[in-house]
Amino acid sequence: MFSLFFENLKISLIAVFANKIKSLLTALGIIIGVFSVTLMGTLISGLDRSFESSMSWLGKDILYVSRYEWFSDMEWWEVKNRPRMRSEYVNQIKNLSKYALAVSPVMQRGASLSFDDKETRTEIFGTNEEYMETISTDIQQGRFFSQSEDRNGSRVTVIGDGIKEAFFGFEEPIGKYIKIDNVKFRVIGVLEKQGKFLGLFSVDNQAILPLGAYKRIFSKRGWMRLSVKIPEDKIEEGLDEISGVMRQIRGLKPSQKNDFAINQTKAFESQYNKLKLAIGGTGYFITLLSLIVGGIGIMNIMFVTVKERTREIGVRKAIGATNGMILGQFLMEAVTICFFAGIAGLGFAYAVSLVINQFFPSTLPLALSVFSIFISMFVGVLSGFIPAYKASKLDPIDSLRYE
Amino acid sequence: MELISLKSIYKIYNVGGEEVRALDGVDLSINNNEYLSIMGPSGSGKSTMMNMIGCLDSPSSGLYEFEGEKVHIMDDSQLASIRNRKIGFVFQTFNLLPKASALHNVEIPLVYANIKKEKRLEMASNALISVGLEDRMHHRPNELSGGQRQRVAIARALVNEPSIILADEPTGNLDSKSGHEIMKIFDELHRSGNTIILVTHEDDIAKYSNRIVRLLDGKVVSDEPVKK
Repeated sequence: MFSLFFENLKISLIAVFANKIKSLLTALGIIIGVFSVTLMGTLISGLDRSFESSMSWLGKDILYVSRYEWFSDMEWWEVKNRPRMRSEYVNQIKNLSKYALAVSPVMQRGASLSFDDKETRTEIFGTNEEYMETISTDIQQGRFFSQSEDRNGSRVTVIGDGIKEAFFGFEEPIGKYIKIDNVKFRVIGVLEKQGKFLGLFSVDNQAILPLGAYKRIFSKRGWMRLSVKIPEDKIEEGLDEISGVMRQIRGLKPSQKNDFAINQTKAFESQYNKLKLAIGGTGYFITLLSLIVGGIGIMNIMFVTVKERTREIGVRKAIGATNGMILGQFLMEAVTICFFAGIAGLGFAYAVSLVINQFFPSTLPLALSVFSIFISMFVGVLSGFIPAYKASKLDPIDSLRYE
Repeated sequence: MELISLKSIYKIYNVGGEEVRALDGVDLSINNNEYLSIMGPSGSGKSTMMNMIGCLDSPSSGLYEFEGEKVHIMDDSQLASIRNRKIGFVFQTFNLLPKASALHNVEIPLVYANIKKEKRLEMASNALISVGLEDRMHHRPNELSGGQRQRVAIARALVNEPSIILADEPTGNLDSKSGHEIMKIFDELHRSGNTIILVTHEDDIAKYSNRIVRLLDGKVVSDEPVKK
């Protein structure tokens, strides 16, 4: 059986490469199909990777309590009418909740940072000493501020890696004074490098101040959120409990709706999955369409091939080929075209993925590549079968006489 | 020893509601190492007879035994197998595969017989040597003369060591010189023990054989040895 297999393979290769242009045009649909499915896979893998790292920055075990929902279709004025978060809630939540491991208020605004003659605009954050427990990043140098520094309103700051690079380069940043909106702050720590969030903006350009100093210098009443860390295996219970605690703090009656929102990374995930579904759906649709068109093209060309080689089929039958052997030969030819088409599509997708990789990290998934080759060979079997079957059933006498 | 036995073979076609008897009760017996010609004008049933003997066609009725195997009850794949093992075809138009070398053309019947690559190459080379084409093995058909192509076809017919060689107008597409060279090869093959059946309408060619069977309207009208 092996010699027949190799014989058929040889015939197929000769047939495919004897008519390169014809084979290429025939295979175009399959090439596009494999190209689109593998490229889509590459994109999704890249998105996944960047999403995963961004999500780990947010932390799965953190509840974000604030006025607005992350992804909601609520009217802005409805949100605007909700009461603000207050820093007093921090202690109230700690007293009332048994799940809250750490509670940290966060205020945020834009500010201008300067050191010597260097200046940059960035986001500054005011928070308390438990902030580090609610983010997944560590301190690479120095330390975070303490509870007493927060209460005293000490002018100390922890800066992001980007600021350190920009202001100090290889110099020692700890103990230096930088200016935040022209107010001097002493650098006491540097955060580890984090990269870009969802590939959009860098989170390394930030400065973190104690909330006491932040409020005194910048604003008492700004936008604030609370980050509540809860045990990873008690997310659902924590969510319920914090919601109850917030209602209690706000003094809501059972009939009243929540006038606050509790967000978690899940909200990002469901949003992200929608996006992924859209990309995936479009990709699969294009793939399916081009594979069907490609399959019809292959079937058509195989009918022509069988017609052209009727006499050859007659000769082969006369010298002892069975119907099954003829069937196998033409099926193999269709599969061979599709196999090379798959390889070509994969090659193009790989080339394009290298380009995409310049913009955001992504790789061509190996399993999907192998799978797409199998799919294209399967299309070869499907579309080659009827022509091959027709060839196998040809009458040897008529075929030998065919001109 | 009897090789082929045809007993009251009929081949009846229905053409536009009319019954056409291509073979109309043929009886024929062919022995081992015979050299036989089948002759007749066109429409006499000559081609049908050849297809029947060559196991390309099945009779409408009658008994056909080939070395004791009952051909008239065989299905497609059994027919393919007996063609592969016992019959070597030589056609008027050579019917070589144009994109394959002489060696590969000769090798194909062995592929279908499921013989290993090294053995195949050895057998195919020997067959080509035996027809005098040892220096043309890697040429394609379009690089060979008509006579050489027919010799490749004979090598292909021989390579499986078949029980009969069935040649249909083997010199029909050749000039007379190449034609006679081909006939000499058949003579040699016969002398070395092969059974050869020629289908022809040329008396010159039929004279090479030892027995001539004449057909007319699907019936055997004469069956006699050639006087030499």
